[in-house]
Amino acid sequence: MKTATPSLTTSETFSVVSDLFSQAITGELIGMSNFASLAETIDDYEEKMEAVEHADSERSHAEGFLHFAKEAGLQVNINLEGEYWRSVREQFLAYAGKRDFIACLFIQEVILESFAVSMYTDVGDALGGEAGKLFRSIAEEEKEHLDHSTEILREELRKDATAFVDKIEEVHFNCMTILAQFSATTDLRGHCGVCHGSCMKADLHHVGLDSATMRGNALALYARALDNIGIPGEKSMVWIAQLPA
Amino acid sequence: MDRPASRLDFAVIGHQDSWANIHTFVNRIRTPEQGTLSVEKVKAIFPFIPARDLFRVTVTSRTGDTIKGVYIDTFIEPDKLGVTNLRTNLRKVEDAIAFAKKLEAPIVALGGFTSIFLEGELSPYASSNTRFTTGNTLTSAFIVKGVEQAAVENQLDLRSASVLIIGATGDIGRACVGYFQSRVNNLLLCARNKRRLERLAGEVKAGGGRCTSAIELSTLLPRADVIICVASSSNLALAGVKPEAIICDAGYPKNLFRDAADRPGFLFHGGMGQVEGGYRFEPDYTDSFYQYPAPDIIHGCILEAMVLAFEKRFENYSSGRGNITVEKVEEIYRLSLKHGIALAPFFNDNGLCPTRPKVSSI
Ligand SMILES: NC(=O)c1ccc[n+]([C@@H]2O[C@H](COP(=O)([O-])OP(=O)(O)OC[C@H]3O[C@@H](n4cnc5c(N)ncnc54)[C@H](OP(=O)(O)O)[C@@H]3O)[C@@H](O)[C@H]2O)c1
Repeated sequence: MKTATPSLTTSETFSVVSDLFSQAITGELIGMSNFASLAETIDDYEEKMEAVEHADSERSHAEGFLHFAKEAGLQVNINLEGEYWRSVREQFLAYAGKRDFIACLFIQEVILESFAVSMYTDVGDALGGEAGKLFRSIAEEEKEHLDHSTEILREELRKDATAFVDKIEEVHFNCMTILAQFSATTDLRGHCGVCHGSCMKADLHHVGLDSATMRGNALALYARALDNIGIPGEKSMVWIAQLPA
Repeated sequence: MDRPASRLDFAVIGHQDSWANIHTFVNRIRTPEQGTLSVEKVKAIFPFIPARDLFRVTVTSRTGDTIKGVYIDTFIEPDKLGVTNLRTNLRKVEDAIAFAKKLEAPIVALGGFTSIFLEGELSPYASSNTRFTTGNTLTSAFIVKGVEQAAVENQLDLRSASVLIIGATGDIGRACVGYFQSRVNNLLLCARNKRRLERLAGEVKAGGGRCTSAIELSTLLPRADVIICVASSSNLALAGVKPEAIICDAGYPKNLFRDAADRPGFLFHGGMGQVEGGYRFEPDYTDSFYQYPAPDIIHGCILEAMVLAFEKRFENYSSGRGNITVEKVEEIYRLSLKHGIALAPFFNDNGLCPTRPKVSSI
């Protein structure tokens, strides 16, 4: 059996690490489904193939986490119908239904990947060892998705800045609001349906993490992603300040 | 980063000086449906936000010219300006500088704590067309001209006065020393580093000035007719000060205890200017930023970048430490008056001081 982290011996760390893997696997499966749906919205065959490739990469991330969790004997709970993950997926599907490629791309590759890259990095640094290495290497791969979308979205902004910023604002509030509620120090919409027992956030300190810092780092990466796309700072400031906390 | 193109004449990099202001600012942005965030919740978000432009600024000169700039916040925590957070704060200033460069601002003022970047030997402007200024020259000008004005209003003859400078070895402190050494009876110099302080006192004496220096503020306070606070410390106490003393607190954050304004004498917040032609923020955050008891007041350091932008003098006007000469103080002051940027009316935490300075003109 693999040891995810040397401190897995206590029941608290076992439970937190199990929950961290559960969230990561569920998130990856949502990502996989989103990329598969994204492929539907694309006419350009090369981009379509790329979306399928990304879906496959999310699948392999989920598989990697799952494999590791099984080897380490963690108690994994995968629930795509959990309150927050389901809501994010519904938002995505609503835009996919309208064949709104840009909105879908923004949700999956900017919003979700910002959170994934940042939180996997924090978890990886905190857990260390083999588990840490796994989280960090997947964070690196997810970063490529973030970079990939930036180019496309910048081009879109260049075409019609006002319309683009308006659209992104709408998508931000529809989707980031859910992630902000999910990542607040206490879940603002109730239990996530993924963690075992009560919310793991209060127990993160057992593995050297804290939810406020993880949330802050994720928002920071998201803000930088918005900057890289070319969203004016005065806009992104308002968008972030208006999120639930 | 490609930004929607609109040419900038200047940028200002700064930070907030109290959580109360930040709390007001964040909640000012939120709608009633989104609800108000507690200070604790604001504290859990604000420090993580990377440097960004918060609003655009339009300034009008007396000449009729108009310039456009942006305010970039570093999101430095107001209660973490000390040495223990230096590394984090420097990284935040660096981020803000990179942001200003991306926006292609031709001249950037590094306000408050952020000026540390230009006062040290760190060179943030090596490889770009963007020029930087600490704004300390115009700040110094507003401080010394303010003290002169306050002396006139309070019937104090500076030539027979003892002027205490707290933070004398700093960039602004040295500028004040240079300006007053031949204009007052006696300089009282204070800073914590004895060696630097004694060296400065030696220079003043060698130049024919009279001065006393001490690292213990309490020994100098009872002798001072005028006190200029330009130290990089806050919450300094003023025990034993002459009741009629004129006090100019130009610190950012303020050097003196908040209740200092309740003591007798004449205390004003120095280093501040007022824009005759006015300035406008978009979005209009004037109720959260730069709230003063009279309109169109801003810090001298920020105004310096505006004056340089009006003049199209895109140069590292104030940089390094100890380079501010009396000639440069006079030059930037003259240029600022040309654009209708004059000494702010005297004010402190209690509002406008009962008397108002006569606006000088060239
Ligand atoms: N109003 C404006 O527009 C404006 C603009 C720019 C700056 N400022 C403010 O003006 C102040 C000075 O700026 P600067 O650039 O000149 O700073 P600086 O170069 O860092 O100088 C700070 C000075 O304060 C001294 N000091 C620090 N703590 C002290 C204490 N407890 N007692 C006595 N001396 C002390 C330092 O010497 P030791 O370390 O030896 O004590 C040094 O002489 C700062 O508060 C700054 O934020 C205001």
